[in-house]
Amino acid sequence: MNEGLVVLVRSIIGFFTLLIFTRIIGKEQLSQLTFFDYVLGITIGSIAGTLTTDLSSRAWPHWVGLLAWSALGYLMELITLKWHYAAKMLEGEPVIVIMKGKIMEKVLKKAKYRASDILALLRNQGVFDPNQVEYAIIEPNGQLSILKKPEFQPVTPKDMNIQVQDSGISTELVYDGILIEENLRQLNKDKDWLMNELRQHGVYSLSEVFLVALNSEGSLYIDKYEDHLTKVTDIGDFKGPF
Amino acid sequence: MVAAIPIATLILFIGIMLSGDFLKRPLTQKDNIPQMIQSISDNVLMEQWDEAENGTKELETAWKAIVHRVQFSSERDEINNFGTCLARLKGTMKTHDKNSAIMELSEALDHWNNLGR
Repeated sequence: MNEGLVVLVRSIIGFFTLLIFTRIIGKEQLSQLTFFDYVLGITIGSIAGTLTTDLSSRAWPHWVGLLAWSALGYLMELITLKWHYAAKMLEGEPVIVIMKGKIMEKVLKKAKYRASDILALLRNQGVFDPNQVEYAIIEPNGQLSILKKPEFQPVTPKDMNIQVQDSGISTELVYDGILIEENLRQLNKDKDWLMNELRQHGVYSLSEVFLVALNSEGSLYIDKYEDHLTKVTDIGDFKGPF
Repeated sequence: MVAAIPIATLILFIGIMLSGDFLKRPLTQKDNIPQMIQSISDNVLMEQWDEAENGTKELETAWKAIVHRVQFSSERDEINNFGTCLARLKGTMKTHDKNSAIMELSEALDHWNNLGR
């Protein structure tokens, strides 16, 4: 028995089976996964790993296990789509953790979140001061949705009765120092024009820039490799090894 | 096409994984393992040790050929156990140990029947 060859064949079987099954189940983005989806993914991956390397048993029973877990995962997805009561039971429901600026400690404890977790999630949303928050809700996928207090809501052009132009979508012209000529052609520009523009921003070679993008108004976004930042703020809240 | 490729791939994989029972069937007269085991057993019971020893060598040759066919669909333990029985059987041929030879042949047949199932 050539164990290396058998593992290679089993790896091919496990890899492509996993690919096919996850394409059937996993329409959701990774960020939309619930905790159960996450555990389901780990279990299916683990079964595929055993199928590949556990030569003391045949590949077939492991493959059946893989099929069964994937089928059950798909079934759960169908049930939660069709039956809201089951969806609430299986996937949980949103919980309000900050109400009118007050942290709901009991809810936090029940959801097994620490205050530092909530502060981190607030920072992910661009809120660095909890005083600004009217409502914060933990969604079933673990993400935090927030509603800021009216005084901290940003002013919109509509509030100011200002007419604005559509900003459109930026197009990448240079990525990682490499010119994307296809995008340049689509914008009816050439390399000479780009180099001329870059020279005006103090860039003399494409290898100096990480990203160059052009928006529909014609202005360039340029990010150089050298950022020239002297002090980086540390936001760690507890003492630790680093 | 989008559905056909994954379905065909899965069918191919299932075929490989379940091919053991089919591939261990004899393709020629020289790789019929159960028949060879039966023949060696008969020779051992009649104490025809030269024939039994030749049969054991032929069984070993046939086994080495079949292992290549069934390795992708069978468990390593059954393959190893059959190999161990074969090694012990060769020992019993040298000592002309009738009881042990019959035991080894019986166990080898059992491993063969479980192979790929």
